[in-house]
Amino acid sequence: MDIGDCYVGWATDEDIRTRGASGGLVTAMLAAALEKGLVEAVVVLKKIGEFEAVPIVTSDPEEVKAAAGSMHSVPIVLSRYLEYGTKVALPAKPCDARSTIEQAKRGQVDIDTTYIVGLNCGGTMHPAVTREMLDVMYKLDPEDIEGEEIDKGKLIFETKDGKEHAIKIDELEEEGYGRRESCQYCAVNIPTMADIACGNWGVIGDLAGKGTFVEINTEKGIAILENAIDAGAVEITPADDKGKAIRAKVDGAMMNVAAAANEKHLSPIEGSHLDYYMNALKDCINCGACKTVCPVCACGETAKCTEFSSASDTYKMSLFHLVRFVHLMDSCIGCGQCTDVCPVDIPLTHIYQRFAVPMQEEFEYKPGMDMTTPPFFGVDLIED
Amino acid sequence: MAEATATGTTSEEWQPKIVMFCCNWCSYGGADSAGMGRFQQPPTVRVIRVMCSGRMDPVFILNAFLEGADGVIFSGCHIGDCHYVNGNYKATIKYKFLKAMVNELGLEDERLKLDWISASEGERYAQVVTEFTEQIKKVGPSPLKPEGVI
Ligand SMILES: Cc1cc2nc3c(=O)[nH]c(=O)nc-3n(C[C@H](O)[C@H](O)[C@H](O)COP(=O)(O)OP(=O)(O)OC[C@H]3O[C@@H](n4cnc5c(N)ncnc54)[C@H](O)[C@@H]3O)c2cc1C
Ligand code: SF4
Ligand code: SF4
Ligand code: SF4
Ligand code: FES
Repeated sequence: MDIGDCYVGWATDEDIRTRGASGGLVTAMLAAALEKGLVEAVVVLKKIGEFEAVPIVTSDPEEVKAAAGSMHSVPIVLSRYLEYGTKVALPAKPCDARSTIEQAKRGQVDIDTTYIVGLNCGGTMHPAVTREMLDVMYKLDPEDIEGEEIDKGKLIFETKDGKEHAIKIDELEEEGYGRRESCQYCAVNIPTMADIACGNWGVIGDLAGKGTFVEINTEKGIAILENAIDAGAVEITPADDKGKAIRAKVDGAMMNVAAAANEKHLSPIEGSHLDYYMNALKDCINCGACKTVCPVCACGETAKCTEFSSASDTYKMSLFHLVRFVHLMDSCIGCGQCTDVCPVDIPLTHIYQRFAVPMQEEFEYKPGMDMTTPPFFGVDLIED
Repeated sequence: MAEATATGTTSEEWQPKIVMFCCNWCSYGGADSAGMGRFQQPPTVRVIRVMCSGRMDPVFILNAFLEGADGVIFSGCHIGDCHYVNGNYKATIKYKFLKAMVNELGLEDERLKLDWISASEGERYAQVVTEFTEQIKKVGPSPLKPEGVI
């Protein structure tokens, strides 16, 4: 097995294979990594409702197996839950993988002991928006839903009576529902920065729906897949050229759509920028949630943005936000979590991206794609 | 300094408030030399001494604006002369980020300046201060100035 190889794989356990999103390969790999001692812990999502899940750090393979399946209405980024030095594996959408790498650059995660099992990602939805969408667009009771999947551009909900209800994602997004805004312009679909990239794109023929496409990106990727094969938990077959071509084609098409969305999203502000920003931030209640969830921030409890600002400041703009604007210019990955959690609905991701994107473009630096030093810290020492 | 004030501008004209961060080893010495050499300069600048321009934290500059500064200069030793080897390289990177930030925020580009001034460049120090003051007078009071602050 070599870096760059592509396979289609599946869990040998029938139960995992059927419950898994596309063959259960990821679940089987994570569970085998625990069982064989390759890692001490795995971070997965534990379902607590049809549209909600909580991240858990577990050493119990049964909990990992119970977490099989993709949850599209859970936008949580998992890298926040990793601990330095633990041998750990996690399933990772591109934003999970990218923030893990940014945390590693800031000494919060040991990249050598962290196995990033990448998941291709076409986007996630906000749980509350999903409920409203079910009511308004599908005319369904959210409590009546028993399953959800995305197939051929349609978002399909299954109700308890076994019926399927499908609407095109484009149509949903035109009405302001569907994927979160950040996911609409996120242009990284295949986690090339993860140790191994898994998805259902490119799985064709008899294996469609029953196999997971994997691309090996690193030595650690080889290790975690071979470990699962040796444990008898996983079987693989080389991916055929047609499958590879389809995967690349869909990825390319999605990237173009995202780039167009990004351009629209970051179109120039009309009128005074200062008025725009002052107005956008005026409702902030200083709760700090946006910082707490930010998966690339490595500051912890006492940080420059919080220590130097206070709710009683009478400044025209919040120093908390101004500091964060600068600090995130080279690291914001646009994951959308700050917007998700803001209790007063400030479009924070949108704002942070306005500051970050031009700088990242100027420095030709895309955070989280590899271990390159961020520009803010990238000073060349002069040799005497 | 008294002489500079006296020969400055008429009292009716609006005088900007400028915060200038100077590194201990070069620019602060430059300010001293300017005084000692009696080079004229407007009384618009409040100097804050930092050990090195590399010590400049973006938070200092943002705070200066929020407190009511109309313009901010930060200055240090010429490139290659920093007493802590590469502090001014670090300052350059921070400046680049701050500049982009200030622009996106909608503050005029003229309000933030980085300049290298050595301890012997008293005349240049006075010139930088004079020119920057003129520049700020043109753009007027900062829109970030809190209510009640002049
Ligand atoms: C939100 C989302 C969007 C996706 N979009 C695409 C796509 O457009 N194209 C494509 O080819 N593949 C996509 N995938 C990947 C695909 O759905 C499968 O996850 C992948 O093929 C692996 O299948 P599996 O059966 O091996 O995984 P499983 O064995 O089902 O394991 C999935 C693992 O992912 C974890 N997980 C579930 N939901 C999330 C989440 N929201 N965030 C982080 N971890 C989660 C679970 O805890 C579990 O450990 C997406 C996955 C997700 C989560
Ligand atoms: S930001 Fe990108 S990687 Fe993260 S959930 Fe959205 S589409 Fe997926
Ligand atoms: S600032 Fe917001 S969008 Fe950017 S990385 Fe942090 S949480 Fe994600
Ligand atoms: S989450 Fe919203 S209200 Fe809370 S500190 Fe951030 S911007 Fe302010
Ligand atoms: S000591 Fe003057 S810039 Fe570093």
